[in-house]
Amino acid sequence: MPDFNVRSDSVNVEQIMEQIRARIREKRGVDYTEQQIRDLAAVKLEKFLDPNGVRSDLLEQFRRVQPAYEPPELPNYEFEGSTLYETHRGPLRFIRKLLNPLLKLFFNPNKLIQALHIQAKLNMMFAEREARREAARRATDQLTYELIHNLVVETTRLGIEVKNLKMRVESVGSRLEFNERRARALESVVVYKSGEGDVVPPAPSRPPAPPPVAPRPQQPPSPVQTSQPSRASQPSPAAIAGGGPSPEGPGQRSRRRRRRRGRRGGGSAAGIIGGQAVPQPGAPEASGPGGHDAADERAGTDAVHEGPETNAVVTEDLEQFSGPDVHPAEPVSRPADAENADAGQSPAKTDPDTQ
Amino acid sequence: MKLAVVVQRYGQAINGGAELHARYIAEHLAKHAQVEVLTTCATDYVTWRNELEPGVGAVNGVPVRRFKVKRERDPRVFGRRSDRVFEHLHSLGDELDWLEAEGPTSPALVDYLGKHAGDYDFCLFFSYRYYHAYHGARAGASRAILVPTAERDAAIGLSIFPPLFRSVRAVMYNSPEERAMIHAASGNQDVPGVVVGIGSDVPHNPQPGRVRQKYNIRGPFAVYVGRIDQNKGCQELFEFFKGYLRDPAGKLTLVLIGKELLPIPEHPRIRHLGFVDDTDKFDAMAAAELLLMPSYYESLSMVALEAWALGKPVLANGKCDVLKGQCIRSNAGLYYESYAEFSETLGAIEQNRWLSGTLGRNGRQFFREQYDWPVIERKYLDMFERLKKEGPPKVLDPAPGWFDRRRQDLPAAEDVLAKLPAGPATPKSTGSEPNAPSTGSGQGRRRA
Repeated sequence: MPDFNVRSDSVNVEQIMEQIRARIREKRGVDYTEQQIRDLAAVKLEKFLDPNGVRSDLLEQFRRVQPAYEPPELPNYEFEGSTLYETHRGPLRFIRKLLNPLLKLFFNPNKLIQALHIQAKLNMMFAEREARREAARRATDQLTYELIHNLVVETTRLGIEVKNLKMRVESVGSRLEFNERRARALESVVVYKSGEGDVVPPAPSRPPAPPPVAPRPQQPPSPVQTSQPSRASQPSPAAIAGGGPSPEGPGQRSRRRRRRRGRRGGGSAAGIIGGQAVPQPGAPEASGPGGHDAADERAGTDAVHEGPETNAVVTEDLEQFSGPDVHPAEPVSRPADAENADAGQSPAKTDPDTQ
Repeated sequence: MKLAVVVQRYGQAINGGAELHARYIAEHLAKHAQVEVLTTCATDYVTWRNELEPGVGAVNGVPVRRFKVKRERDPRVFGRRSDRVFEHLHSLGDELDWLEAEGPTSPALVDYLGKHAGDYDFCLFFSYRYYHAYHGARAGASRAILVPTAERDAAIGLSIFPPLFRSVRAVMYNSPEERAMIHAASGNQDVPGVVVGIGSDVPHNPQPGRVRQKYNIRGPFAVYVGRIDQNKGCQELFEFFKGYLRDPAGKLTLVLIGKELLPIPEHPRIRHLGFVDDTDKFDAMAAAELLLMPSYYESLSMVALEAWALGKPVLANGKCDVLKGQCIRSNAGLYYESYAEFSETLGAIEQNRWLSGTLGRNGRQFFREQYDWPVIERKYLDMFERLKKEGPPKVLDPAPGWFDRRRQDLPAAEDVLAKLPAGPATPKSTGSEPNAPSTGSGQGRRRA
């Protein structure tokens, strides 16, 4: 769909054409002129000629036969009636002419002359025909050369086309990936909202809720569990009143994000192997003291066990589309995380990374 | 004031560009002066066969005096001589032979002008490249005004024509591109000249619905009006439009109006209405989203002007300098030089209503300011007044002598053409002279 940034009431056709050409260049990736295509083709042709580069030396041979064809100099095949008696010596020629009637008494030289004359003509015809054939063959060679050259030009053009198509496919692929991520993030938001509806404030008449049971690490997440972070995102009055871990600030969140990126870069594998996070090149340094950090480290390790790629992508999506950047007032960490961390339990199922 | 309009063919049914131009000018100037048309008995521009009676008649109230053509054109001889003068080193005599072969060879018309040119105040000669203009303008040089209708073809590179451009009293150009080309070819900058062009009688209230109903046309469409011919760029248009049809975003249909000289692709969205009358033509143009103008060679596109008069944008072939220049000067049309540009520009006009509307409005204003009939008539009358006030005419260049005509030293016309300036004439293209194209691009093209 063409769109143009013509901001004034009057249009400038040249300006519009410039915009259109820019769009075309953008679409095509690289705007090759005919001359550039030919230049590219010529480069490839030279490469093609190089026996080390490509296997065939066909064009090299064409090049060798390229010099203009010069028909060979034919011998003198003429045989006339006087050829038999010709000589550069005048007296001898005179004597031969004088004795010619005498010679004709013995045999008929005319037949001989006639036959040789025909033979000379035939020889001439054959030689000319051969020369014509040779010229035609060379012309065909030239045409074949041109044909191959054109094929190379077309192949180059196709190559450029393929390159452009590849670029387009990549572009479409990245857009698709982006859309998928967005869709997943939006789905998570939908789940979050439905989970919010599930939360029923405890009635005062009911007995207090039992202490939270640590979820089993290998248990797959259920919809109810996935809704827990959303609950956690709204700090419960108990957590606030009991002096539990307060919602982390923006600085902490960014540290967490950096750590997560570091883990994706290989830190998680170190955690699996040695049970201790080994600083990786390029990974952020170990976090400072604080229960949040320790819990995060453990959470990160557990998340690796459960599938780091999925977790990372989903968390990133969530942060991108419904996270603190979008809703700055909404805390990311939950008191449940902190509690789990303090209790030395793995918060695998309640970690926001699992969403 | 008494005027003579001298043209190769003339008649109500003759619709060639220069001939129609001459008829319109004659009929409109007849309101201001006594006009007589001097022409031949021929109606076919290929053979120049005498098909009408010689003598005096009238067409639309304008008296017409016809003269016989001495001999018909022999296409083989003409082709041979064209090859000679366009492509090889040749002599002035070869060029004069070419002119004879081209025709319409009517010595009677030239003789009449030689004897009676003094009876007219001015003689308007249309189409520089024909026999009647070359010899007639020499016969009545003191009163000759030339309307060259020159296109960018090899004939402009012939050596017989620069003296003609220099010897007439004035030149009425169709476009700034034409003027720049003739200036460069002949050095006739001293000759009074003005870019005039031609108007058109566009109806004030065309009925778009009428043509849709009559021809059962549904949906938006682009229209092409003119001869459906390879020389007019229709082959390229078909190829490009077939490519456009593959784009699912495009909804336009191509409607063709005109005589078919080229196979038209069969597709539900390519419609050929054939030759239609002016009413249907203007209705169709009013109903269309835009006019397509794929021609490579135009000295002035009347159809484009008519589309602009109707407030429709034009999509023109950018390889035609005149069309491109008109689009740029009017800000009323886009142009293309490749399929990608064709597709994008067509899509832009189709899908951007604001752009389409603005281009159309610009076109209507451009037509009113430059090509409305009162403007055209005023330019001619001003030129007549100016010439009357100016001094006596210049002395003609002498006719070439026997040796000059036989000296084989003239370059091929195509080589000369290649050195002439090319490109559209825009105000910013040159600093010194506005409306002059850039020079030295060497893009000489010959009409196929």
